[in-house]
Amino acid sequence: MTPRLTRRAFLRTTAGGAAVLGFPLPLRAQAKTFKIGAIHPVTGALAEPGQACRLGAQMAVDAINAAGGVKSKGGLRLELILGDTQTKPENGRVEAERVVSHGAQMLLGSFDSGSTNAMVSVAQQRRVPFLIDIAAADPITANVARSVKDGQQKVQYVYRNFPTGSSFGKRAVQYFIEIFKEANVSPKRVVLMYCNDLFGQNQARGFQAAHKAANPSWDIVEVIPWPEPPTDLSTEISKAKAAKPDIIAPITRPASALLLFPEIRKQRIEMMGIVGPGSPGIYESGQIAQLKEDLEYVLTSVPWANFKNPKTSTVAEEFRKRSGGKTFDTNSGYSYDAAFVIADILERATTLDDPDAIADAMKKTNYSGGLMQYGGPVAFNELGDNANAIPTMIQILSQKPVAVWPKEAAVQKFVFPRPRA
Amino acid sequence: MDLTLVMQGVLSGLLFGGVYSLMAVGLTLIFGVMRVVNFAHGDMMVWGMYLAYMLATRAGVDPYVSFLVCAAALFALGLLVQRGLVDRIVDAPHEMQILLMLGVALVLENVALLAFGPEPTRVRSPLASATLWLGPVFVDVARLVTFLVAVTLTSALGAFLYRTDLGRTIRAAADNTYGALVIGTDVRRVYAVAFGVGAACVGAAGALVSPILPFQPSTGLSLSVASFNIVIIGGMGSLLGAFVGGLLVSLAESLGAVFLKPSLKELFSFSLLIVILLFRPAGLFGRRSA
Repeated sequence: MTPRLTRRAFLRTTAGGAAVLGFPLPLRAQAKTFKIGAIHPVTGALAEPGQACRLGAQMAVDAINAAGGVKSKGGLRLELILGDTQTKPENGRVEAERVVSHGAQMLLGSFDSGSTNAMVSVAQQRRVPFLIDIAAADPITANVARSVKDGQQKVQYVYRNFPTGSSFGKRAVQYFIEIFKEANVSPKRVVLMYCNDLFGQNQARGFQAAHKAANPSWDIVEVIPWPEPPTDLSTEISKAKAAKPDIIAPITRPASALLLFPEIRKQRIEMMGIVGPGSPGIYESGQIAQLKEDLEYVLTSVPWANFKNPKTSTVAEEFRKRSGGKTFDTNSGYSYDAAFVIADILERATTLDDPDAIADAMKKTNYSGGLMQYGGPVAFNELGDNANAIPTMIQILSQKPVAVWPKEAAVQKFVFPRPRA
Repeated sequence: MDLTLVMQGVLSGLLFGGVYSLMAVGLTLIFGVMRVVNFAHGDMMVWGMYLAYMLATRAGVDPYVSFLVCAAALFALGLLVQRGLVDRIVDAPHEMQILLMLGVALVLENVALLAFGPEPTRVRSPLASATLWLGPVFVDVARLVTFLVAVTLTSALGAFLYRTDLGRTIRAAADNTYGALVIGTDVRRVYAVAFGVGAACVGAAGALVSPILPFQPSTGLSLSVASFNIVIIGGMGSLLGAFVGGLLVSLAESLGAVFLKPSLKELFSFSLLIVILLFRPAGLFGRRSA
């Protein structure tokens, strides 16, 4: 009779095997690494961009290590300790505490302003230098800078390489004015339409404030917010049409974009074009494939990778492969750059054992190897923000997203006003 | 106020109401017969949408044709869910039923997430981009078709319930389960058919709105909530109520968007709910005993 494999025997054997396999890992002699806590919303509502951020940072760390690590520190290799906020702001703090207790000497993250702000308190209290890869809300860095200035805290450990909320609005208004001038047209009536969530409200407010400050020759004649995600936008578009717009300026999310752009075409609005202050995701190949001609000639201002840099295309191609076909964009791009900025900081820091030395090197950053479109090198102002982190105006031309403004970023000339159908 | 805009608002609202009506009819049927609130309703609809999406992208079948296939598929799913799960808790307290149906909803949503990913999508159909112009006012052809199908389906369902033997049996079982049992009705079979037909309505609705309404796995919950709102306004269990309720809610949202900020339009549909519950607690067409 052959011995039968019972459930108990099976469990004993596999558990024993697992123990044997699992044990030697911590015992194996390992080269010392510099640990960075990389925290993003990898699950929950923001899982899609959060996963892109994580992959971007991971790809950058892989590239840095493959090129020999941090050379001035004996080829020190970088290691990411991954954290997930589950798209819950309060988890920013929880996860930051956790990665720091696991040996993280720097923090990187975290996409949404809520959880980023929660991470800031850990960075300042536990003296862990924190480079924000993405998060737009102005107060995140401004609050820290103020408390350092007021003497409540000694050192600023938090810096940000991403456009701030207010700068998005300013740049968008500036690009509108410049593009209208370059195209030699003078539209008068702009209808602002936006998704009424935190992101949409911030973008819309920033745009309206910047418009008021710049006082250009065009007016925002109607402001139309909608609940996100919407079930129907036909009445909203009818309302926009009734305002006789020269320009419709939409701020959409991927779900609302699928409703908004076809509806604009259906209702045959006579206008110069669609120029948006920011619609994340419309450049994704999935969106373009679904919206096709409805997206043609749409202009929108988003943080964009600098494809004039040949390295960007290589990295974008690798990202496409590793992500299952996604565009190397705002999220993956800024997280990728953040890891390289950290490597640059570590190269210059006098010692890595003292967080203040790292913070000091951070403050003096002047890095120009980034893949995103910048207005100059990565350098931090008195608030800890990089004023050279700027959005780019892109346009969907022949079903491809193309950088068209500012001039130094443009790979093609914009088509505006759009040709009449 | 711009008169064209108001006219357009009324027209768009009424036509989109067809979508809402279709959504609500299936829910009200299941509740009317079994007194089970189907919390997986919206997620079943999302599956109808994804089926239409697969048929459109893989086989090139237009959703305005494939809605019949989707209805059949959802009929089978409904039958399966009823026989395998709901049947066991038909007589259990409502909170048990709600937990079970929420569980089904979670499973459906997350399987969709695994299978199709989190990105919002939409089915392309030539009909969906067509418009008719009546002077300054336009008619969205896709919505017109959906509206007409909604009217047809609701009438057909009414005819089925009131003119056929099986329909009469379903109503008998709904009115008095014990009595139906006494005269020899196979109530289990009746329930299974009713749940299947309810699910089929949702499947058809999903397919028909897939070119109009972008969807993603998480869309189910908001569809469920919208459907509950409509069904409660119309009267739980009433077919006509679900149909009229759908039109009313859509009209309220559309006019809300015309006269106030569009971001407040959901305020209108849910205020309508509160007002109707205040004055007619059983809904517009509901019976008090329900």
